[in-house]
Amino acid sequence: MPADEFFDRSEFVQYFRDETDELLNSIDADLLRLEQFVDTGTIDAEIVNSLFRALHTIKGSAGMLEFAAVQQVAHKLENVYDLLRKDRMPLTESGVNLLFEGRDVLTALIRAAVSEAEAPGGVDEYVERLDAFAGVYDSTAQAIEGPRGADDQEEDLTPVDEEQLSAFEAEVARLLAQAEARREFAAATQDVHSAEDAQSARDVQSAREAPAAQEAPAAQEAPAVDVSSAQAAVDALFAERPAAGQPAPFAAAFAPAPAQPEPQRAAAPAALAPAANGSASSSAPAPDAKRVVAAKNQTIRVDIERLDMLLNLVGELVINRTRISDIASTLGRELGTNGRANDALSTLAKDLSESSALLARTTNEIQESIMKVRMVPIGQVFDRFPRMVRDLAKARGKDIHLEIAGAETDLDKTIVDEVGEPLMHLVRNCVDHGIEPPDVRESRGKPRHGTIKLNAYHEGNQVIIEIADDGGGIDLQRVREKAIRIGVISESDRLSDREIVELIFTPGFSTADQVTDVSGRGVGMDVVKKNILRLKGVFDVDSVPGEGTKFTMKLPLTLAIIQALLVNVAQELYSIPLDSVIESQRIDASEVRTVHGSEVITLRGQVVPLIRVAEFFRLDTPRDPDKVMIVIVGLQGRQVGLVVDSFQGEQEIVIKPLSDVIGRIDGISGATILGNGSISLIIDVHSLVATAYGSGRVTRAEFSGV
Amino acid sequence: MSDTIQVVSFKLGSEEYGVDIAQVQEINRMVAVTHVPRAPQFMEGVINLRGQLIPIIDLRARFGMPRAEHTKNTRIVVTEIGTKRVGMVVDSVSEVLRLDVAQIEPAPEMITGVDTEYIRGVGKIEDRLIILLDLAKIITGSEKRELDSADVEAVAAA
Repeated sequence: MPADEFFDRSEFVQYFRDETDELLNSIDADLLRLEQFVDTGTIDAEIVNSLFRALHTIKGSAGMLEFAAVQQVAHKLENVYDLLRKDRMPLTESGVNLLFEGRDVLTALIRAAVSEAEAPGGVDEYVERLDAFAGVYDSTAQAIEGPRGADDQEEDLTPVDEEQLSAFEAEVARLLAQAEARREFAAATQDVHSAEDAQSARDVQSAREAPAAQEAPAAQEAPAVDVSSAQAAVDALFAERPAAGQPAPFAAAFAPAPAQPEPQRAAAPAALAPAANGSASSSAPAPDAKRVVAAKNQTIRVDIERLDMLLNLVGELVINRTRISDIASTLGRELGTNGRANDALSTLAKDLSESSALLARTTNEIQESIMKVRMVPIGQVFDRFPRMVRDLAKARGKDIHLEIAGAETDLDKTIVDEVGEPLMHLVRNCVDHGIEPPDVRESRGKPRHGTIKLNAYHEGNQVIIEIADDGGGIDLQRVREKAIRIGVISESDRLSDREIVELIFTPGFSTADQVTDVSGRGVGMDVVKKNILRLKGVFDVDSVPGEGTKFTMKLPLTLAIIQALLVNVAQELYSIPLDSVIESQRIDASEVRTVHGSEVITLRGQVVPLIRVAEFFRLDTPRDPDKVMIVIVGLQGRQVGLVVDSFQGEQEIVIKPLSDVIGRIDGISGATILGNGSISLIIDVHSLVATAYGSGRVTRAEFSGV
Repeated sequence: MSDTIQVVSFKLGSEEYGVDIAQVQEINRMVAVTHVPRAPQFMEGVINLRGQLIPIIDLRARFGMPRAEHTKNTRIVVTEIGTKRVGMVVDSVSEVLRLDVAQIEPAPEMITGVDTEYIRGVGKIEDRLIILLDLAKIITGSEKRELDSADVEAVAAA
């Protein structure tokens, strides 16, 4: 392709992908809104216009990149929306379904085009169905192309049939009858006629626009006449006449129209075209729409990697800021204690400490700003659910309303990306297992339609996302039976309701017989929970039998910077994220007891198992015979004590991933660089505890097993 | 196109090794390495290189040779393979050599101490033998990951 020499195609393809992603989402949302107008006889023109514009943009971009199939389907769909927009087609359920399908076909085509994969099957078949569907309402579908496609449409349009012409003549006659509306226009054309210089061309233009605006409503007000066929004829004739758009012949031909029928037939269409058909409106909305978008959406696209890089650099800045503050305070102290400080030095030290405080403030602000830049609204994820719920509910024969609130709540891009999957799982679960079928609901005295509420909001430094349904709630009895069946608990275990609910998070719990167990919740709930924990989030479930279930996730606003407790283990500094730390304790070595060979302490009457971090990490460090330093961490309601060598205080740290060359290390989630340039590894409390317990606590066997 | 390649040569014990200069980012003196527990045994740890965390491989350990005390000659050769940066601890760095491609032979089947998998070939320069390393194979470590070895091959083909 010669075009490739002039622009970086891949960049455009990438842009195309991003842009169409957004447009396809908006199409989905619009279609869902449009669906509410089915069979009502009315329609919200703005929705249809928005759909039309989205497809128009996709078509244009696809055309530029020579994605012919995408262009074609977008074009066909555009035609259908055009029919809707012009009220030439009623909105039916089958029509909407076809449009939904079109959106999916388009999505698949775009994916294939972007990834240079083979086009998905079934496209031709879909296009045929669409054509057949649209054809019913639009016998001259091609004509819609109007002036824009004039050049390449010519051969399609040559046969102008007599019927169209006579209908058109009738329309012309009717319009001509409205002589009143014309008078000004006639005057304008006269002026044009006499003017000969270039300047007059502009006047012509405005003269031409004026009657167009006047006549458009007139044409619509005439239900008796078949506007569409007249219009099609107008279009057809107009298309045949490339010169028609030029002012001179237009004006010349129009002036004598009433007197001479013959030239009128040929020329009048040119004058009427902008008035009667949508040519003015079909080309105008596109630039308009762009302007509107540009005005309300002052954004640019930035590669997330660049932001990561920026964040990384800011992380460095934060580290150096800490370092400079340290130096400033050390210097001040030294000068003070030595007592031999001369004035100049003292002043310098003071200046340094002041400017380092200033630096600290600015750095904090930069850091916050960058964090904000990385924030995106959770709506990006929510957007896909209305369609999903609609389709799923239909497939399951349920009637479900999805209510979304707080879509504008923003959080870190990485979290938004990661949270999509678990959320989808939960929403799916609500549809599948939460909401009962309409008849069941009715018999339980509930409205036939179920409701799923998706809500997001900020709370302090966290974002709360709730997914609630008003379905049957978790069937505790069944969960319990199943847990017994698969051996998670035994018949004799006494569990509280809460503990039973928690069972759905047991790995493998749901997969055991999910095919037969329809009412039981928890398809892959353990995975959902694990993913949320990985995001340093908290996941909770509330269920009231008969009333519904509510899942709540609490997520940090960002993952990059956290508060941590620094501890010494075997001469190295480790960081423990503060959000999992409950307290730190220094206790007497004699208070450590053993249960089945595992060390525990008793803390306020509770038995807390211990994990010696050094031994878990296979580090060589002598045990202190007198005292034990313990960091109590909370983990899914349990407490575990991590034994360390000493505490080093709290600090804000910037999380950096360990190189993937090293691979995943159990018990380590990353590393951070401290103020003095040294590295501290960050302890992954969840995986540390899970690994230690998974291998039957930290026993000798664990160490020698390597 | 030149039919020579430039390599950075370094020593492990009495043997001399070489890596393509295009893959060497810098050479540093030994610094404090933060130990990473539970990492593969040849993984010395991580260092802070101007704010970047760089994993450090003890090349002796990687090749199954006995570890050596660090001396004033010990160096960290920071390499860049694809998007991955890795530092390698070596006994000493000798020089930058220009090797005639015609003088590079495939790895002999038996080379003491080194698994031939990591060897791209053996270059001869006068009476010295330079063992050319395939860095991508070295850093993939215990996990077998298909790395973008295209770079390495491109250089090899140069």
